[in-house]
Amino acid sequence: MMHGRRRVAAKEPTQDEKDEARQQLERYCALNSRVMGLKAQNVFTTDALDATRQLLELNTELHTVWNYRRTIMKKLDAWEDTEKRQSMLEQELGFLMKVIRNNIKSYWMWNHRMWALSQLPQPTWRGELSLVDKLIGMDARNYHAWDYRRFVIARLKDTEDGDAVDEQEFAFTTAQINRDCANHSAWHNRSKLLPAILARADQPRREKVLQTENELIQNAIYTDPEDQNAWLYYDWLLDIQQSDEDRIKLLRGKIAAIRELLELEEDGTRPLIELVSRFAELGRLQPGSVSDAEKEECMKTLCTLKGVDSYHAGRYTDISSALSKRWKVHDLCV
Amino acid sequence: MAEGFNTARSSSLLVDKHVEYIKSLDKRQDELEYWMTEHLRVSGIYWGLVALKLLDRDSALDKQQVIDYILSCQNTDGGFGGHHGHDSHLLYTMSAVQVLAMYGALDRVDGSRVVDYVAGLQDAETGEICGDEWGERDTRFAFIAVAILSFFDALPRLDSDRIVEYVKLSMNYDGGFGSGPGGESHAAQVYTCLACLAILGRLDVVDRERLSAWLAERQLPSGGFNGRPQKLEDVCYSWWVLSSLRILGRVHWADCSRVCDFVLSAQDPDTGGIADRPGNVPDVYHTCFGIAGLSLAGFEGFPLKDVDPVYCMPVECIERIGLQSWINNVPRSWSQEKLEDV
Repeated sequence: MMHGRRRVAAKEPTQDEKDEARQQLERYCALNSRVMGLKAQNVFTTDALDATRQLLELNTELHTVWNYRRTIMKKLDAWEDTEKRQSMLEQELGFLMKVIRNNIKSYWMWNHRMWALSQLPQPTWRGELSLVDKLIGMDARNYHAWDYRRFVIARLKDTEDGDAVDEQEFAFTTAQINRDCANHSAWHNRSKLLPAILARADQPRREKVLQTENELIQNAIYTDPEDQNAWLYYDWLLDIQQSDEDRIKLLRGKIAAIRELLELEEDGTRPLIELVSRFAELGRLQPGSVSDAEKEECMKTLCTLKGVDSYHAGRYTDISSALSKRWKVHDLCV
Repeated sequence: MAEGFNTARSSSLLVDKHVEYIKSLDKRQDELEYWMTEHLRVSGIYWGLVALKLLDRDSALDKQQVIDYILSCQNTDGGFGGHHGHDSHLLYTMSAVQVLAMYGALDRVDGSRVVDYVAGLQDAETGEICGDEWGERDTRFAFIAVAILSFFDALPRLDSDRIVEYVKLSMNYDGGFGSGPGGESHAAQVYTCLACLAILGRLDVVDRERLSAWLAERQLPSGGFNGRPQKLEDVCYSWWVLSSLRILGRVHWADCSRVCDFVLSAQDPDTGGIADRPGNVPDVYHTCFGIAGLSLAGFEGFPLKDVDPVYCMPVECIERIGLQSWINNVPRSWSQEKLEDV
């Protein structure tokens, strides 16, 4: 699989370039044959370990070679000695830092790092956390870095006060969101932390946390009303309310916020569909609470949306058809 | 743009070029890329064969030679490696089984050994599926295990309820799925989770409305899809997103003609093959998922074979094996709506 490699004009390479390419290919093939040969012969020596290192530096995707490397390490005498094992695995983590630079997206490499940490007699989870901080600092949406962060945090919670770690992580997502409120990786992580924080909170704190959450998400929506993720998070806040009464209260607040947004910005399509969806939700939660005028407004809005946002016409048509059946009103989208 | 570079964007599917491109992949031994990708050759053959089958040009590969090669990649543990001498992994076991299935050659392999290998990778405590003996867990592997066992009519060998629980735990507020519990939603993981639930007949656990809306919005103004919000579009998501929407009966929530335009614009008119994005180097992975995406989008410029959105293989192969179509497995409340779209 190749991602993001540009095609370039077909230009005849010079003889030097051809020689260099051939040598590179020969070096790679020779090394690869050597490693696979050693593996086939069940050789578990430091020399074999070094050969796997050289090969993995050239190609991070060889899972068989990562497996072989782990097998060799476990069979070396040093593995049986706690101090020597600690030092061998710390060196391994250093080697992996070099490899991360070649290919941060390598699943095999991340797996190997998790394995190395799990085998360390004295794992350094705080150190791992600062590594992830750095990686997220360089690329705030990196999928692997966030996955690895959750792995590190889970281990950290085994060794430290779990609730305190959760609070720190929650604060970390707040900081990431304040830097960029469209950082969905941060919102996602937040959604995994919030329920536990609410569960531990007493009523006043619970209310305060939810109010802050409301303000934060409304700010994200006002910053970019077209950001679907923010709206989905806003929806999810409804899901985690304790009672239908709370949900209805929050829905009414949402509808008011959307109305306010629509007054500021008339072109956006997103707030319009969100308004329709909120009324649909309200009607489900509290039958009879959506007025005839509001229903008519929704049906007209869907019809308008279908015209101005033809990209999503299929969705608007489906919603309009479903609402016309439920509310027994005329479907204007047909 | 450099001179001598063919920038013409094609509005037609360059069928002959793609066939030639796929045939050429086995003859590029003077390129480093050929050797660097040796470890996933079995998957490479799967991607190439799906593309050729959908184009109805599978005679371009030597069937017997391919079957013999695939069989030679089976290890003593019953699983398949990506090439001779490589360790077994579910990823390559899946590709190997799919290739054999597409050739009607599943009887050439000792199915009970494959089944034992796959069933042995379920963690008895958590129900999670490991990718291999080293224990990496991922929702992708849950799908693969379920799919492989369905080929051998051996689903009862897995604890399906535990798998469904695990997939449910991997669901997020946006309705999507991540690589495991806690993981961020990603369109490719969404596909694997939906396909897994579809085979198990448990699509009822999905938040259909929320997930369909999330998937539809992966489409960008270029017509291509991204895998997560605010990421770049990529041809392979034409498959991951459209197959998911197809399983949900919501392909019409995407603008299919624009998807087709995007995939066609990523073809390499010189060498054949499809790249991740227009102007990039093509590869067989994106060629496969580009063509499979076109099939799902109802591309009208060429009579592509229908592709099954769960198994990513031609529907006719699925029918020949006698596997149940995913359509029979959707919740009753969905069936009133138009699942037969496109």
